[in-house]
Amino acid sequence: MAEDTYTPQDSVPLPPPDANVHTTACDYCIVGCGYKVYTWPVGEEGGPAPDQNALGSPFPGSVLGPWISPNQHNIVMVDGRPHHAVVVPDFQATVVNKGGNHSIRGGTLALKCYNPETPTRDRLLYPQIRVNGELTRVDWDTALDVMAAVSEHVLRNYGESAWAMKTYSYEFFENTYAITKLAFASIGTPAYAPHDKPGSGNDTAGVDDSGIITFSASYQDWADADVIYISGTDPFETKTIVFTSWMMGGPKLIMALPRRTAGVAYAEANGGLFLQVIPGTDTLLHLAISRIILENGWEDKEFIEEWIASKWEIEMGMGRGTRNTPWQWRTTWGQFGTDFEGYREWLLNYEPAELANAAEVTGVPAEKIQQVAEMLTGGGGPRPKASFGFEKGNYWSNNYLNTASFAAMGLLCGAGNRPGQVISRLGGHQRGWIGAASYPREKSPEKLPGRRKVELDLDRWVEAGNVRFAWVIGTTWTAAMAASQEFARRFRELTVENPHQITSLNKQDIINTLIARVDSGGMVVVDSDIYIIEPLGTEIADIVLPAAAWGEHDAARCNGERRLRLYSKFYDPPGEAKPDWWAISRFAQRMGFEGYDWHEDNDVFEEAARFSRGKVLDYNVLVWYARQQGKKGHEVLRELGTEGIQTPIRWVNGQMVGTVRLHDSTLELGPPEGPTVHSKWLTHFKTQSGKALLIKSPWELFSDFYERIKPDPEKGELWLTNGRINEIWQSAFDDIRKPYIKQRWPDTFVEIHPDDAAQYGIESGDEVRLFSDDILIQTGGWIRVRGDEYNFTTLMEQGLIRAGSGDVRAIAIVTADVRPGVLFANFLHPADPANSLVHRVPDPITNRYRFKLGKAQIERIGESPYKNAFEQMSLKPRTASG
Amino acid sequence: MTDKRCDPMAGIASRRDFLKLSGSALVALTLPPHLRRPGLPARLYARQVEYPRQVIGRLSELEFGQPVSFNYPWDHPASTNFLIKLNEPAGGGVGPDQNVVAFNSLCTHQGGPLAGQFHGDRGVAGPCPLHLTTFDLTRHGMVISGHATLGLPQIILETEGDDIIATGVLGLIFGYHSNLADPNA
Repeated sequence: MAEDTYTPQDSVPLPPPDANVHTTACDYCIVGCGYKVYTWPVGEEGGPAPDQNALGSPFPGSVLGPWISPNQHNIVMVDGRPHHAVVVPDFQATVVNKGGNHSIRGGTLALKCYNPETPTRDRLLYPQIRVNGELTRVDWDTALDVMAAVSEHVLRNYGESAWAMKTYSYEFFENTYAITKLAFASIGTPAYAPHDKPGSGNDTAGVDDSGIITFSASYQDWADADVIYISGTDPFETKTIVFTSWMMGGPKLIMALPRRTAGVAYAEANGGLFLQVIPGTDTLLHLAISRIILENGWEDKEFIEEWIASKWEIEMGMGRGTRNTPWQWRTTWGQFGTDFEGYREWLLNYEPAELANAAEVTGVPAEKIQQVAEMLTGGGGPRPKASFGFEKGNYWSNNYLNTASFAAMGLLCGAGNRPGQVISRLGGHQRGWIGAASYPREKSPEKLPGRRKVELDLDRWVEAGNVRFAWVIGTTWTAAMAASQEFARRFRELTVENPHQITSLNKQDIINTLIARVDSGGMVVVDSDIYIIEPLGTEIADIVLPAAAWGEHDAARCNGERRLRLYSKFYDPPGEAKPDWWAISRFAQRMGFEGYDWHEDNDVFEEAARFSRGKVLDYNVLVWYARQQGKKGHEVLRELGTEGIQTPIRWVNGQMVGTVRLHDSTLELGPPEGPTVHSKWLTHFKTQSGKALLIKSPWELFSDFYERIKPDPEKGELWLTNGRINEIWQSAFDDIRKPYIKQRWPDTFVEIHPDDAAQYGIESGDEVRLFSDDILIQTGGWIRVRGDEYNFTTLMEQGLIRAGSGDVRAIAIVTADVRPGVLFANFLHPADPANSLVHRVPDPITNRYRFKLGKAQIERIGESPYKNAFEQMSLKPRTASG
Repeated sequence: MTDKRCDPMAGIASRRDFLKLSGSALVALTLPPHLRRPGLPARLYARQVEYPRQVIGRLSELEFGQPVSFNYPWDHPASTNFLIKLNEPAGGGVGPDQNVVAFNSLCTHQGGPLAGQFHGDRGVAGPCPLHLTTFDLTRHGMVISGHATLGLPQIILETEGDDIIATGVLGLIFGYHSNLADPNA
């Protein structure tokens, strides 16, 4: 049993042979390892002989054999009765986490279950309304009636774009389908943004525009590669099992990161390379590598001949229309999209990509850049299978240019559409998004020059005071976005600092007060979550709704190789917590919207299936098959257990068949059978012609911003980049409630190079302050007319950039693993989000933040309690072994 | 070897009650008073009353960074442990410099063998050859980086003169469901 203070246990109860067994997948990272849950009534226990326990295994067991750690056990309520619950990786798994491999995150899933005897006791149990500043319990009807009344007023008087939603994009199909049905189909608001970006649309537009779907690869492809270029992530730390089950012992790894990590240490010791880039410079690194490849003629000519689009093929099918969708104008504008000869000519004449310049700007030695070009292509010898994986250090530093130059580098090496030769994201969260309708871009108040409507930047929209009602579901919003402390200040102005505050529990009084707030220019905020979060729940929200989460209702989604599984319910949701689809449906019904008559999780799952048709996560065939069998969709998925099936699901010769990889030139498709949809991108690239595009990435589109934000050593400024570590998932909402993890990380950290540490008198274990009053924030720029009105220089000239401040604290860890001049912090600690020190100026081409390019000054506050005591927080470098 | 232990079939709540009620039988991991800091949570505790006392080595015979293997609390392959003298004081460390510690040698991720991976100079065990987990030997075997869902089980030590005595285990040994259930039974 987990207590607030961590006590390592020396025994664990074993599930008896008749324990209930549920299959599920991990709730955390993209990999989605398969797990099994055993539940049985308190008062019973199994024994150590194989026939005495539900695992059918002896205790003690053997290396790699089944085992149950004490942190894989908890007590939960099942049908109102206390039960043991043991959550262990599926030791019989043959996919994903073969043989029961697992990360420290998933390995401690049991500790996330609600148990009032553990730190999970502060789960949200009931709807609450803030009355006289205090969150006060109300019933669901009151909360939903108030939301509907205020929403109707806002929509009637201020229009759809004043009614906003900010939600997770991944927390199961059932919930995201309900969210998109409400936001896009029923309300039709452009004021919507997913949890990790300021607006809808592409995450990695440069790769997408090249014709590559970002989760096209299968985990087997990473194992089958001879060499993998990994950009902006260490999979060991953040998608652990992809690294430990599929990359270790196989391909050579080339890792481009500003910081040496445990994965990098492994790569270097096993024939790989570490490219320690200066933050924000990957584009020039990619271009320099590509240029060397072209100079030497090492590109995959056969592949390029067959699979790279010509000028005509880029234009084909476009007609002479307006081309006002973002990918159309980006690829045909002339500034980016080109054919092979055009790309070659551009790059060979593009001075910033010259090796000497690239080596200086990126900080990567010229000989290493040369070596990479050889490793990826064979340098004129036999061509290795090269694959390319990337993540947020890449696309959250310089969104469009980094992704476009990365894709081009991969394509020149012949990657993208063959086993072991792939270009793919490695992933962050799992894939649980289904759109019931498209985002209404035509309603967006934001546009680029020409007829180029872009998805609304919701953060800037809030900052401008244009949102009157916002429903936030399962995200911190303020902390997760850029310049987060400045952002939270604006939220407070619009909500708790507005004169119209609720002082009575009378429903009509509440409605009248909130409508008066709206009419005075203020904002009403509703927050659905499992725990109360800072500051959105603790300070800002008027209404807080309790959500049922993983293990508390049946739900489905895919992992990073599009593998669909059922996440089974195995215990009772706490209090009156409900799945988010339920809250949305009851709200929608009050609004008079039709089509929300759902009674159980499966109702939504089945309805959503047809909206998945023809898309990457297409599971329509599964629901169709279930109906033939007289079963529910969830039931058939449950039968597939932890193996599940890879989407898109096809019907071939009378059975469901998964799709191993996308753009698979080796896949032979017969005529589509049953309800199967054969999309072009199953066997070709996702472009008009089915061929991939080489996209230019001129550094000048970024360099004005980059020069402005580069830390000035004279002022004591350092880069402050950020990222994840194995032990912490997202905002640590579960981890700070897992005593085992809390012992490891009772506080947040910042890594600093010994040279910098010496300059500021900082030692490992010291508490430090990170601060800046030069955090840039874009304040306007909605309607861009002239050709140059999107770029940073013009925004500055037009007075649309202001400077704000950020100020957080952390525990210092002194290590040579970070570059001199670069600090590395955990990206989203709840109390001290490093995002406070990140500029809120999105990439003008894609409206995506450069989260990884923060800056800070640093000063020592004093010794932390962890500096010399032994109970909590290890200060050893994470590469301590290497 | 004593078989005295709390009822293994007891519910988890009563186990916790046992821990609370029998505080006098609990031994705080030895944290020297001058290193204690206000504001830290309560000490880490282990139940020691059920474990045997076993002499596992002599202080005078230990050399820096040279691990010495021993079995405890059972004569069983999974309960193979290492006694090691570090270059720095450690949580639970004994000897004049509080730098002598002992840990189980199986990685608590999937049981990988850590033999040969005890680095006294850095106070680190690992990386585990299977999946690269590392453990901090100065902080009770806490995971530095990696996947284990439990710290490396620490053998609780006492000294009597030159003798180093194992008196308990902090944390479940990989493969076991109870450290005190006889694996050879």
